[in-house]
Amino acid sequence: MDLPRKPFWKKPTKSPGSIKPVYGAQHPPMSDPSSAVISSSSSPKKDKTRMRRNSFSEFANKTEDAWDAGDDDICVLSDPDIYQPDIYSLTLQPDITAPDIYRVLTITDSLTYSFDDYSLDTQSDITEDLSITSLTLQPDITPDITSANLFKGLPRVPHGSDRDLKQPSNLLGCRPSSPTLLGGPGIGVRQTPAPFRHIPAYKRLLDKDLDREVAKLEKFKSLLEAPSAARAFSGTWYLSSCINPVYKFPTLMLQGYLPANVDRRKGTLERKRAEYFGFIQQYYDTRHSDIHQDTYRQIHIDIPRMNPLISLFQQEVVQEIFERILYIWAIRHPASGYVQGINDLVTPFFVVFLSEVVDENVNVENFDVTQLPEETVRNIEGDSYWCTSKLLDGIQDNYTFAQPGIQLKVNALSKLVKRINAPLHKHLDKNSVEYLQFAFRWMNNLLMREIPLRCTIRLWDTYQSEPEGFAMFHLYVCAALLLEFSRDIQKEKDFQGIMLLLQNLPTAHWGNEEVSQLLAQAYQLKYMFADAPNHLHPKAGKK
Amino acid sequence: MSYAYLFKYIIIGDTGVGKSCLLLQFTDKRFQPVHDLTIGVEFGARMITIDGKQIKLQIWDTAGQESFRSITRSYYRGAAGALLVYDITRRDTFTHLTTWLEDARQHSNSNMVIMLIGNKTDLESRRDVKKEEGEAFAREHGLIFMETSAKTAANVEEAFINTAKEIYEKIQEGVFDINNEANGIKIGPQHSPSSPHAPSGSLGQQAGGGCC
Repeated sequence: MDLPRKPFWKKPTKSPGSIKPVYGAQHPPMSDPSSAVISSSSSPKKDKTRMRRNSFSEFANKTEDAWDAGDDDICVLSDPDIYQPDIYSLTLQPDITAPDIYRVLTITDSLTYSFDDYSLDTQSDITEDLSITSLTLQPDITPDITSANLFKGLPRVPHGSDRDLKQPSNLLGCRPSSPTLLGGPGIGVRQTPAPFRHIPAYKRLLDKDLDREVAKLEKFKSLLEAPSAARAFSGTWYLSSCINPVYKFPTLMLQGYLPANVDRRKGTLERKRAEYFGFIQQYYDTRHSDIHQDTYRQIHIDIPRMNPLISLFQQEVVQEIFERILYIWAIRHPASGYVQGINDLVTPFFVVFLSEVVDENVNVENFDVTQLPEETVRNIEGDSYWCTSKLLDGIQDNYTFAQPGIQLKVNALSKLVKRINAPLHKHLDKNSVEYLQFAFRWMNNLLMREIPLRCTIRLWDTYQSEPEGFAMFHLYVCAALLLEFSRDIQKEKDFQGIMLLLQNLPTAHWGNEEVSQLLAQAYQLKYMFADAPNHLHPKAGKK
Repeated sequence: MSYAYLFKYIIIGDTGVGKSCLLLQFTDKRFQPVHDLTIGVEFGARMITIDGKQIKLQIWDTAGQESFRSITRSYYRGAAGALLVYDITRRDTFTHLTTWLEDARQHSNSNMVIMLIGNKTDLESRRDVKKEEGEAFAREHGLIFMETSAKTAANVEEAFINTAKEIYEKIQEGVFDINNEANGIKIGPQHSPSSPHAPSGSLGQQAGGGCC
């Protein structure tokens, strides 16, 4: 099958520096002029010229008039290189419901997911889905829902005031009732929670004409209500959600756990879950044995200390789930064993999977897990285990003796920053701030402690779509994070001020917009340096 | 803010003995009943007064887990004081003191002042290590000793300040080479009129290089 195998942005571009936009990475324009390359045009016409001989271009041609001209959401979608892989991920979700629609419309650069790792099954399946999509994506479909349905319970925002809004999460941390929960860097970081602003769930629509977006949603709603369309859409658009609890399937898939083939999914999931509970049956009793009791004791001490302000994590049943997941992982990976911080890496998966089975009006962080059927909880546990395990496979040297992976990455970060922001690097150096002093945790916990959980989930969404996302791309994200606060850091005139800032970065209010900017910057850095390590040496550069 | 001296501390001890809570109580005067895990090292600072002199304390709070030992070890160097903490309700944290002490002695400068702290005295009913045992251990190894409660703040100020006093006395006695920052001591900027351009509060080694 003729599938695009390379990540789209690695391809040579005709005009140097014109990085193909990652969705969500293009606006608002970056303040840093050097990042202007990101804003290369993505008008529909231009994209159209980029289309190549593939079935998707037919699809796109047929459907492009379904959208308003200049709508760059769709422009990105219509880039075949980006979009096509996702077409293959269509899943069967005939029971998709109206509330899902606005969730799935929070399109992000999840759309850049590369499905290299997944075997695709039958061409016929795909074509069928494509044709369904193209048939149903017609502009003359009568919208039969109102924006009120789509955004039930959400306040409307007058045009032009969007900028004050921050990215929502009906998932975590953004509810008015829970201002501080998950709203900041890791709890345990000594900081006063930032003042909370309520963020409506459709912030993704910012900087755009809301009415147009609503009309678009209405179209989707009607499309999705058609039984065949639901089939064609759900999987694809599932992928695009990042802040909403709808990405169990893509997450599972991207973690290399769930096959792309719909027919094999149920069986695979059941088999893997059964395998995990087999491990528990076989090994969990060893936790009190001489060789493993230290591991277990450490986990047992640590789990109750996780996210201490969130009631979800104080529930016994949840703590036991985390203990089992971590213990089983630890004894199956003796090279590293359990290292503090790995516990944090389970959280995003657990929360995403939990969100999927929790009513969207319920705040996940206060949800009582015992309300769920036992079977559901077991599934969440099994899926969380495998996804975490898969993630850790890619970064195991972060946790082996002396943590060489982290040391290497922190060194690389230092070199990179020296190259791309010499004044900042000098400032840190002059004040005796070592990168390891602050960036160790960035690497060890994959930024879980530095940005709100909703942002971590968003960030990991991209990591999953990147080759070596959790290992290498993370480095560029860390560099971008440091650049983001470059000015603030340089305002601090001593070691103490810099360190306190760096371990309490003011990110509590962060949402999609900030993460998107961060990712845009990170992509840019990766584009410049990933395959050209010599660029890191000053001699090779202009400076 | 100007200061006469800057002392660097490190807090060490087993996982979950309350190192971060002690630091939080000392720097922010608050207690967080459950404190998320410390990853690697975390930094805190506070100004205290000894003998009428302003002394700035810069404190590295370290992760207790063995896995991080290779990272945390490097913080011994350059520390003038160490708080070695155990939990009076968990005997294993007390029995591990020997290992901690060996580690500290091996990687720090020989003059480092070590304060042994038995934490969580608010949990008297669950006490597993007698105060006398702590005292005996301290006496045997030449440490200062205190029992504290990060929760009630009992003895927390004293633990940090007494350590500073001991360091200060050692300076007066001329034991410490205060011109060598590797000892974890630095003379404040107002004591170095020869470098008028040094920004107030600058703690950088390079920046402070011109001092005295």
